[in-house]
Amino acid sequence: MTHEEIYQKLNGVFRQVFDAPGLVVGDATTAKDVEGWDSLAHVNLIVAVEKSFAVRFTTKEVKALANVGDIVRLIEKRAK
Amino acid sequence: MLKSDRSELDYFALLKKAKELPPPAGRRLKLALLGDVSTQHLVPLLRALLASNGVDSEVYEAGFDTVEVEALDPASGLYAFAPDVVVILQAIGKLKSSYYESTGDRSTFAQTRAGEIEEVWKAIRKRSGASIVQSNFVLPYERPFGNYGLEVPDTLHGLVSELNREIGLRARQNAGVLVNDVDYLAAWFGRRHFIDEKLWALSKSLCALELLPEVAQNIVDIALAAHGRAVKCVVLDLDNTLWGGVVGDDGLEGIELGDSDETGVFRAFQLYLRELGRRGILLAVCSKNDEAVARRVFQEHPGMVLREDDLAAFVANWEDKATNIRRIRDKLNIGLDTMVFLDDNPFERNLVRQMVPDVIVPELPEDPGLYVRAISEMNLFEVASHSALDEQRATLYREQEKRDEERSRFESLDDYLKSLETTARVARFEPRDLPRIAQLLQRSNQFNLTTRRHSEAECEAMMGDEAGCFPFSITVRDRFGDFGLINVVILRRADSALEIDTFVMSCRVLQRGVEQLAMNKVFEEARRFGCRRVLGRYIPTAKNGMVKDFYDRFGFRREAAPDGEGTSFALGVDEYLPRQVHIREVAAFPGREGG
Repeated sequence: MTHEEIYQKLNGVFRQVFDAPGLVVGDATTAKDVEGWDSLAHVNLIVAVEKSFAVRFTTKEVKALANVGDIVRLIEKRAK
Repeated sequence: MLKSDRSELDYFALLKKAKELPPPAGRRLKLALLGDVSTQHLVPLLRALLASNGVDSEVYEAGFDTVEVEALDPASGLYAFAPDVVVILQAIGKLKSSYYESTGDRSTFAQTRAGEIEEVWKAIRKRSGASIVQSNFVLPYERPFGNYGLEVPDTLHGLVSELNREIGLRARQNAGVLVNDVDYLAAWFGRRHFIDEKLWALSKSLCALELLPEVAQNIVDIALAAHGRAVKCVVLDLDNTLWGGVVGDDGLEGIELGDSDETGVFRAFQLYLRELGRRGILLAVCSKNDEAVARRVFQEHPGMVLREDDLAAFVANWEDKATNIRRIRDKLNIGLDTMVFLDDNPFERNLVRQMVPDVIVPELPEDPGLYVRAISEMNLFEVASHSALDEQRATLYREQEKRDEERSRFESLDDYLKSLETTARVARFEPRDLPRIAQLLQRSNQFNLTTRRHSEAECEAMMGDEAGCFPFSITVRDRFGDFGLINVVILRRADSALEIDTFVMSCRVLQRGVEQLAMNKVFEEARRFGCRRVLGRYIPTAKNGMVKDFYDRFGFRREAAPDGEGTSFALGVDEYLPRQVHIREVAAFPGREGG
């Protein structure tokens, strides 16, 4: 899966979780940039990403996530 | 309650649905969530699932791990919220830590923990009339001894099993406490899917997010049952549902059943249905068949488990099933939304779904060996109470048939009523009657003037209030059999007037003079209390139209209701003419009614 393909799919996940049809995220996007991205939605997001990409992250990895770029790097690392 | 299958239990779909719900308005169910797990993820699920059941809701979340504090502090947010239902959710996580950190004698661990849980219930019940929905614990997967652990005392697994058993036993002894069997859900879906260590570490989630809707649905099932939602009747197709083949074509000897059913699945299904009957669910037949041919199977086939005596209604003809289901509804005098229809034929299922949408129509799998599983997965038969009367319900309907036959022999209603030799016990609330009283208050919809769903605990409180309250019930029998406790009236003193807070009667005893007997009693009590007037109230609902003129018929005058809830009525104590009834009052019944 290419970087672009991951982003295409990931944007779909973000739009579903945050119920925002026009949402586009990038490497530098953080929780502050997306309306409704609180700790509650964060758990929903992680579960949705794991399901959608068929990957599992460790607890430590999830805790260390700082922005969308981190999520993409994790997906790339896991989905080989 | 699910209407056809479990497909509506998708986490993200429910989340979306919850977002689109309007804010709660008007009459709503108030749920309070307490727990040593995070409850935020549960809130939208509960609201969405309650909305699917036509119930508006408001949810209060206590702080994380504040169960005891909220319960014991009379000034806590819990009591300020005034919940209808308190949901207590406890995960294995905290329990596990306290077990591992304990040293020395662990043999009292389960009893001690169960005692603490019971103290919380008692504290809540003392300050609130809310029902309590207590979770049990998911059995842990750790096995330090392997299989041999079952032979070792005081393992974590053994003590959690003991604790779960203890929660059930103690719930039985504490009115208004219902168990949320989370361990059953975990076992059914598999603990390896249910338990989610990462989500526990990240957000103290009770379980995997995708299974959280199952927990929410379980809570909704219990909460709705506690507020009167209950299936009363299962309507059964015959050919290819109760037996294999078509009796009209294959003949009595040709159908697959008993010895001629190699798989034994139809016998197993009938055994399950008979068990439902024994637990108080009415069974009815609705079949496209010649009635005599269909009945003969029940009368003569050696492989039948169900017999005519197990059935409250039998409709076999060539009309459409929607019409026949309405006919069964009329005969049994129950609501369509309390009926479940089981039919192997998808065409009939869809027809009933479209023509009588209130009826619950489970999707049945093609393999009849999976019927019981499909029905069990929907948890259709949740209840919040159980009394001996439930088990006699089918008998009650058969006794009614005999009365109806008798009735046609009499010229006048009076003669008929006299011939029934009806006796009644009118009694102030007594502890032994409370479960049945609470059940009647929760379940009655039609002959119910105010539809105030007082809980068992509230009834108990009224029972103790000798000066301000006269709550009574009427138990009836006649020469054909027992009706049991079928009328509840709650009177409250309001200065120089006596107010009828609640007047509820089972529809089984209409036009027998029971309501007249009860009203006579109301005015006797008004005199005893020294009241000058009796006040009544009718609060209309979708189902209680049959009593809208109830107070008019007793000569009450309509008043403007100051608080606007329904219609108020009043009648002077001296203006009331006691009604003549053909019922003999007795202080107690001999035999099974006790006393």
